[in-house]
Amino acid sequence: MTILAFDTATSATTVALSGVGDVVFTARHDPRPGERPGHATRLLPLVARLFERAGIDWAAVDRIAVGVGPGTFTGLRIGIATARALARARSVPLVGVSTLQSLALARPHPDAVPAGLDAVLAVLDARRGEVFAAGWRMDEAGEFDNALLAPRALAPEALAELVAPLGPAALAIGDGAVAFREVLERSGSFIPQDDSPLHKVTATNHCRLADHLEGGVPDEVRPDYLRAPDAEIAHRPQ
Amino acid sequence: MAHDRDRVDPERLRVILAIETTCDDTCAAVVTDQGEIRSNVISSQGVHDRYGGVVPEIASRHHLELIGDVVDDALARADVALPAVDLVAVTIGPGLVAALLVGAATAKGLAAAYELPLAGVDHLHGHVAAAFLGPDPFEPPFLSLIASGGHTLLARVTDHGPGYEVLGQTLDDAAGEAFDKGARLLGLGYPGGPALERLAADGDPDAFSFPTGQRMGGLDFSFAGLKTALLYRVRDLGEAEASRRRADLAASYQRAIVESLAIRTERALRDTGLERLSIGGGVAANGAVRSRMSALGAELHVPPRELCTDNAAMIASAARFVEGVPYPGYLGLDVYATGERILVAT
Ligand SMILES: [Zn+2]
Repeated sequence: MTILAFDTATSATTVALSGVGDVVFTARHDPRPGERPGHATRLLPLVARLFERAGIDWAAVDRIAVGVGPGTFTGLRIGIATARALARARSVPLVGVSTLQSLALARPHPDAVPAGLDAVLAVLDARRGEVFAAGWRMDEAGEFDNALLAPRALAPEALAELVAPLGPAALAIGDGAVAFREVLERSGSFIPQDDSPLHKVTATNHCRLADHLEGGVPDEVRPDYLRAPDAEIAHRPQ
Repeated sequence: MAHDRDRVDPERLRVILAIETTCDDTCAAVVTDQGEIRSNVISSQGVHDRYGGVVPEIASRHHLELIGDVVDDALARADVALPAVDLVAVTIGPGLVAALLVGAATAKGLAAAYELPLAGVDHLHGHVAAAFLGPDPFEPPFLSLIASGGHTLLARVTDHGPGYEVLGQTLDDAAGEAFDKGARLLGLGYPGGPALERLAADGDPDAFSFPTGQRMGGLDFSFAGLKTALLYRVRDLGEAEASRRRADLAASYQRAIVESLAIRTERALRDTGLERLSIGGGVAANGAVRSRMSALGAELHVPPRELCTDNAAMIASAARFVEGVPYPGYLGLDVYATGERILVAT
């Protein structure tokens, strides 16, 4: 099964193509400091480049997977609107993948992390002093489908408090873990060094997840904003 | 799905699928390259009324919710399958960036899936090109006045392309914004244009004198002072009196907006020597605007209401006169905000 996957929830634009031969084709754009995210201008050119490398065209795609966040609102909409349009046009199923769950799928090299880790926390910088976070408990096979902490937006201090009982058994990854390293390390979580690839969302993991998830009608795949628009919050009855 | 594309028919009309998400209307349309409208679907969000204006983040969320069905609806009503579309067109600005991006991502995705060509269209070129649609297209040369909640523009239109000459534009608020802000000061809901027009019908337009910028030379518009004048007038009258004379205030205020538009339009007709005038944008739906413009002596063209307010048929109309970009040249196409003056390739 040929799966095209992409994610635009973070400042990165990441695309992957699996099911063509044995390799997973990948490409990404990470903005330099101060540079705007490339979601609008890079996403489809990156996809076209993967097609060229893999020697396929749109007709060969069996399934599309897209990151539904949480993440930046505009980024999410660009990814999901693109994915819906492609899936609708080619009549292929669309799979919505949690960006946090994909991030949590990172497989650290055993030498790179302390022994005894049995939980992983995916932490994205949500701006305004908050993080988007979710956690999973790893089972003996190293898989982690046991939800420990459902996706939410919260202050890093609140997250640290929630995960403190896990102590040093928790691996915290993502740009939010980097941004709030001190707070989270105080609760005992292990955070790989800043430039570790473990902190980056990659659509390769979306492909892995989408292999097992049920695809559906494009419009049923919705962004997981996790936050209401400011105007709506201001208008809520007290 | 049968792909009409495989059947070669040189006589077949080219069809354009257009998408428009500049502000708070989610629109899609199918138009032939002869300017015949096959479908024109407009989904107005109506959720911004309680905020007293369009909230970009809320508009963008709604665009994403609505756009799929709106496109399907436009294709179904036109009885066209996507692979049989010859050109996909989409508004790329000026407007609310987050809203435009939903339309652009959708259009690029739909076009890419069948490697169709795509045309990025300037929203104002779309408003101008609304005149070229339908059974009785209004052909250049003419003077175009576009007035809505987002823009106020006078342009000399000598051909169908995006190279129209901007003669004047607003220096502050748009004409439709002036209607909305006046309506709010008079305690009317949002959007204020239609409500203010209804209230004005029972009032005396000569009761109060509001500034029209008569002494301001040139062809640019300014409505900020007008809004302030109404604010002071309401305050001077006091709550009870202002409330009693609401209809007179509305009529006089509306008259000032209409006169402000008419003065510049008349000057532009005189300066350019043009004898034909097309008006568009939501404000063109206002009865007082229409009757005042028809009194200017020029041959007047007013598209039907659904082609005056934001719609995708006008974007398709403009796309007929814009070079479509072949796949994959448009995949990196970006959008631009209001106030970002990017010239569309001509
Ligand atoms: Zn408009």
